[in-house]
Amino acid sequence: MNGPDPEIRRRLAAHPFLKGMSPHHIELLALSAMPTEFDAGQTVFRAGDPANGFYLIESGIIVLEGELNDREPVAIDTVSAGEPLGWSWLFSPYLWQFDARATESCTAICLSGIMLRQHRDEDLTLSHELFKRMSEVMVRRLQAARGKLISGNRPAHSRS
Amino acid sequence: MIEDEMHLVGASRPELEAAVAAHPFLIGISPHHLRLLADCAMRSQFTAGQVVFRKGETANRFYLIERGRVALESSTGDNVVRIDEVGPGDLLGWSWIFPPYVWHFDARAIEPTTAIFLYGTILREYCENDPSLGYEMFKRMSEVMMRRLQAARVRLSAAMKTTLGQEGKTSAT
Repeated sequence: MNGPDPEIRRRLAAHPFLKGMSPHHIELLALSAMPTEFDAGQTVFRAGDPANGFYLIESGIIVLEGELNDREPVAIDTVSAGEPLGWSWLFSPYLWQFDARATESCTAICLSGIMLRQHRDEDLTLSHELFKRMSEVMVRRLQAARGKLISGNRPAHSRS
Repeated sequence: MIEDEMHLVGASRPELEAAVAAHPFLIGISPHHLRLLADCAMRSQFTAGQVVFRKGETANRFYLIERGRVALESSTGDNVVRIDEVGPGDLLGWSWIFPPYVWHFDARAIEPTTAIFLYGTILREYCENDPSLGYEMFKRMSEVMMRRLQAARVRLSAAMKTTLGQEGKTSAT
């Protein structure tokens, strides 16, 4: 195995999700990273499939879609350039919860969860840093999803 | 700050450590991490109806609910929308994790509630100094966040389907 490709290191260091990350951690992440692209309309992952990593979106937009019981999928959220995509690789049952599809052509870096898990135990600073950053994104998305639920619900309940 | 202090109740260090160790969110945590967490912990209790925190106020803490229930709400004028509820075993409050460290929603006890108060400002510092604690805490919190995010998204897509369905019916008539 060669060391990480300088190009992938550069792309990782330039991604907003990893802003301020130490060169050593970028080096470690580069060992788990692969450049990838998606055409407009292409599926990134499907609900129920094994989740074995996550993506850092560099350009383009990904839509998350859910299929409740029947009918057509509904767009639940979008993930844009500069954001990470995919948490299900972190926790049991390690299956994607939603479908993800590129709505326009995208470039992204795919990070292998299996390789990240190997580094995790060797380098807790990296793991702490990654989980801290992911937590922030998750909370912001949770707040946004709840915000949308409120605006959808607002006329229905009132204090009397 | 007076309101913040009103709900805190005294506990001896061994009582506190036992309460922290017994909380389901921290199950299996190492004795070393347990001691660090107990440094940041206090016991707290709320009467039914009491405000736990208010949107816009400084978020310097979070709670591990032991007993009771707390509702997360959003209010504008007279309208109050219940966003979520947390109960025994749950964690309440994320906004202490990142700037601007301000609560995003209101939280109010809807039953008499006891909880472990954790001082997030200190815990953040401990996590930076001891990445093994940081990793352990953020890993556990991420799992809860992810499940709540997935649940919120499922509710959202169900709500959107209902809306779309209703719009379909309206336009059909």
